[in-house]
Amino acid sequence: MTLKVLTVDDSKTIRMIVKKAFQSYDCAICEAENGAEGLAAATKEKPGLIILDITMPVMNGIEMLDRLKSDPDLKNIPVIMLTAESGKDNVLNIVKKGIKDYMVKPFKGEDLIDRVRKIMPLESKTEADSAESKPVKYFTQVEDIVVLSLPAKVTRPVTVEVEGKLQAKVQEMTAAQLKKMILDMGGVSETNLSLIKLIIAAFQQCQQAGIAVKLVANPKQSEELKGFQETSQITVSHSIEEAKAVL
Amino acid sequence: MSDIQALDLKGFVTHSVKSVFQTMLSMEIELDNPPDKEGICTNGHIVGTVGFAGTVMGTINLFVSRTFGREMAAAMLGMTVDDIGSDEEVNDVIGEVCNMVGGDLKSRLCDAGLTCSLSIPSVTYGNGFRIESKGWARHEQLGFRNSQHSALLEIYVKIAN
Repeated sequence: MTLKVLTVDDSKTIRMIVKKAFQSYDCAICEAENGAEGLAAATKEKPGLIILDITMPVMNGIEMLDRLKSDPDLKNIPVIMLTAESGKDNVLNIVKKGIKDYMVKPFKGEDLIDRVRKIMPLESKTEADSAESKPVKYFTQVEDIVVLSLPAKVTRPVTVEVEGKLQAKVQEMTAAQLKKMILDMGGVSETNLSLIKLIIAAFQQCQQAGIAVKLVANPKQSEELKGFQETSQITVSHSIEEAKAVL
Repeated sequence: MSDIQALDLKGFVTHSVKSVFQTMLSMEIELDNPPDKEGICTNGHIVGTVGFAGTVMGTINLFVSRTFGREMAAAMLGMTVDDIGSDEEVNDVIGEVCNMVGGDLKSRLCDAGLTCSLSIPSVTYGNGFRIESKGWARHEQLGFRNSQHSALLEIYVKIAN
């Protein structure tokens, strides 16, 4: 059964590190940025585990812990405190309040997982229930045209993955004498520098292989592309049909 | 209660800065001569601040360049610098580094009988501003270096009236 984990920390960075630590496990992560939001989330979500920071605005972690422990519905939820303060008095104080464990920052995600495993089992995600682990299908073929659907958010690791697949696809296209490709930005949610670099790399790979390539983007994305020197000169089509017509 | 002049503030903070950079950012950072604030300020800089108050009062300021701040944010978030989209991510990371360094110092002060509470970190960034603190019993400056980047850490401490 999926374990609900509530991470309460005023730092988005720490919440992201906690989220990443659990990403290989069958866990659903909910987030709150202070004790008050954390209490509300705990009441609503009834998590199986709370990872709780101490120093936070609005309501700190100690107060949230006190309120959790005084609520009959919430008092049995295991809590691991994540604190930048390792002083003896601080540690004794929080241990007395009935927490399951505590971790002192700085910490590594894997160390947090080790602590969690000491108090409860964690099941690894299976391929069936992990949408993220399913291989992403970047390429489709429409008649004699190969369409590369660019991912929603392109980061450096995604660029490396897509460039690798593109290289293999270009070789495959050359062998099959396919000479047309469309880069489709339809599913892209963020225009960033990694995306721009990926588009340029795709254009270069296609041009070197003698493959004609067109870029499809909506009007807003077209304007954003003009803002980058590297893509400002690229002619953009607004639909796949329009791109097919000019290829 | 300890005498604040006798505390090894430099030793405490050097250890925690190195530990934070190594554990959270996977970056090696070495103690160096304190850089000029003006040197760090070229092309904009970021100052993370965290305070503590109680029997002992104090503040810690961490000065880094915008460029180093972005590299730190990328390292902590497991991204490349190009993927850091906004100042919000950089500010959050600088604030969190200050929180960890301040939290460790606060713990050591409390263990020495100098009880105090830690503030929420704050971050200031921009060009052409100076931060100076006056009226403290102790002021320490520590320089750190990571390949081509420098960081300056200032600690101000006094016993509360």
